[in-house]
Amino acid sequence: MRFERIGREPDYSRYMDLKEGWLDRRIFSDADIYEEELYRIFARSWLFVAHESQIPSSGDFLTTHMGEDAVIVARQPDGSIRVMLNSCPHRGNKVCFADAGNTRRFVCNYHGWAFDTAGDLKGMHEEYCYDNGDIDFKNHGLKNVAKVSSYKGLVFATFNGDAPSLEAWLGDFRWYLDMILDNEEGGTEFIGGCIKSVMSANWKFGVENFIGDAYHAGWTHDSGCRSMNDGMPFPPIDMENSYHASVNGHGWEFGTEGVGDLVLLGRPKVMDYYNKIRPKMAERLGEMRSKIFGSVASASIFPNVSFLPGISTFRQWQPKGPMQFELKTWVIVNKNMPDDIKEEVTKGVMQTFGPGGTFEMDDGENWENCTTVNRGVVTRHERLHYRCGIGRQIEHDTLPGIVYRGQYNDANQRGFYQRWLDMMTHDELGKMPARPEPQLGNVAETRDLPGLFAL
Amino acid sequence: MTDTATLERTREGTTASLELTHALTQTLYREARLLDDEHYKAWTSMLAEDLHYHMPGIETRYRRDKTEQVTDLTRMAYYNDSKPEILKRLSRLETGTAWSEDPATRYTHIITNVEVELTEKADEFRVYSNFYAYRNRNERDEDSLIGNRIDIWRQVGNDFQLVKRRAILKHNVMLSKNLNIYV
Repeated sequence: MRFERIGREPDYSRYMDLKEGWLDRRIFSDADIYEEELYRIFARSWLFVAHESQIPSSGDFLTTHMGEDAVIVARQPDGSIRVMLNSCPHRGNKVCFADAGNTRRFVCNYHGWAFDTAGDLKGMHEEYCYDNGDIDFKNHGLKNVAKVSSYKGLVFATFNGDAPSLEAWLGDFRWYLDMILDNEEGGTEFIGGCIKSVMSANWKFGVENFIGDAYHAGWTHDSGCRSMNDGMPFPPIDMENSYHASVNGHGWEFGTEGVGDLVLLGRPKVMDYYNKIRPKMAERLGEMRSKIFGSVASASIFPNVSFLPGISTFRQWQPKGPMQFELKTWVIVNKNMPDDIKEEVTKGVMQTFGPGGTFEMDDGENWENCTTVNRGVVTRHERLHYRCGIGRQIEHDTLPGIVYRGQYNDANQRGFYQRWLDMMTHDELGKMPARPEPQLGNVAETRDLPGLFAL
Repeated sequence: MTDTATLERTREGTTASLELTHALTQTLYREARLLDDEHYKAWTSMLAEDLHYHMPGIETRYRRDKTEQVTDLTRMAYYNDSKPEILKRLSRLETGTAWSEDPATRYTHIITNVEVELTEKADEFRVYSNFYAYRNRNERDEDSLIGNRIDIWRQVGNDFQLVKRRAILKHNVMLSKNLNIYV
């Protein structure tokens, strides 16, 4: 990896003991550790950048961030997707200020340097001022990322030319991802628009909440659950038939009752819809996954994407310093759903997990205070407890990954921080251990899309 | 949907009388006071049964981009609610477990730039206004939500009921952790 930060090399393993089940709070507040995360995690991971449905046509683009790097994601005339830095190689200005749109050119406001949607430099204001030999157009395009790849509609990019394939990165987690991405013929799409908000909290608190923290739901969200369901409290958890599954730092916590998250969405028509397609879902994904889908469940893809299968909120926790993240939220629906069901899902998501949603409203204050109390130097040296369910690991004949029994568990959180530690301590990603070794064969296809320059 | 007046002007708006303008301005102020004081029962009694309350999410797009962000109701929105949906959201506050509302948030709604117009319906009036909703909670949490609104208010006896509201919050990234407020 070419991007190295000059400075101290702390021993990150002293910030946690996952066999004992504790974390040092400085990983949620220390500015140096945060900087190092940008280098070692965000500049080296596969990062979610778009859903293909957001940029269906040639020239469609959106802007987003990979870590704190501003990027443009653009659909090419040949249907492929390019991801490039949103920064002019001349003086560095942003070349695109819109969240999304359609264009043939990105033109810098400063000196009129103009780039096509692949990022190639095509011309500039008063081009005659450059003498022969002053500038090589070929080497002054918008820097493309190293690799772009998509998995069933989700587009990922990485700055890391040495990154493993997206298939290997996701590994057996694809078995779980298919429950949201491929539970019906036609796949998925995002509803138009994106709602963004800001929290004064460390990005990892959002990720770890969705990766495994079913435990908070019945307490934090008692009011949300009761408001969406005529006063009914959170459904009881079946600790025998619910699980945590962790693969390479990704994680999915879930029940097998099939209805919990659909109940929490509070839209009976959506429940009816999924119950109608459930037999087909069972043919498509097998009995087990058709029972998991719609249950009380939440999931995160390492490092910073989360979603609720059944409730259909899809979100990304964008790091903005050790004590701030920007939350981007979308609604993911099945493409073949009738319009009125898509509308029901969208309303349900915004009423539960929008900024004004009955669930979302009670999360932010918790994560903010989990983070900001660490301004206190004594406080930040106190350990946090992550030991729940530490003895409940099982082998399961259907469920891939590192599986723990009982939905109330810190297992997926421990799996996430183990991967965090792996990345913070391994110079070569190829030498990181698989967690666990892949158990399934090649369960699904990914399409590789070209990146221009390897880093 | 129904035959209520439209938020968009169908022709050049006709300015309402001084008396009507005064009555509706006072109605907006009363509504703001009820929201400041969290008197949601009294507030929801000002909402018509066929209410549509809409606050769209607004993306930053170039001027040439004609994507209809405001009137396309299929897009993501902070609020795209009927009255029963608003009541559902508000019922959270009655559970006693809405942790992030206890201690209570302190609100001030400032309503300005009120214009009242007659519509094609004799008992419905189009009301433009600007809002500045300030929130402060716990020690230093504070934020300012600023934007404008277009409403349709219907006269019912001596009172008015809100039939439609489109509130445009001027944020792209909402600079706050939640939106526990109506404007």
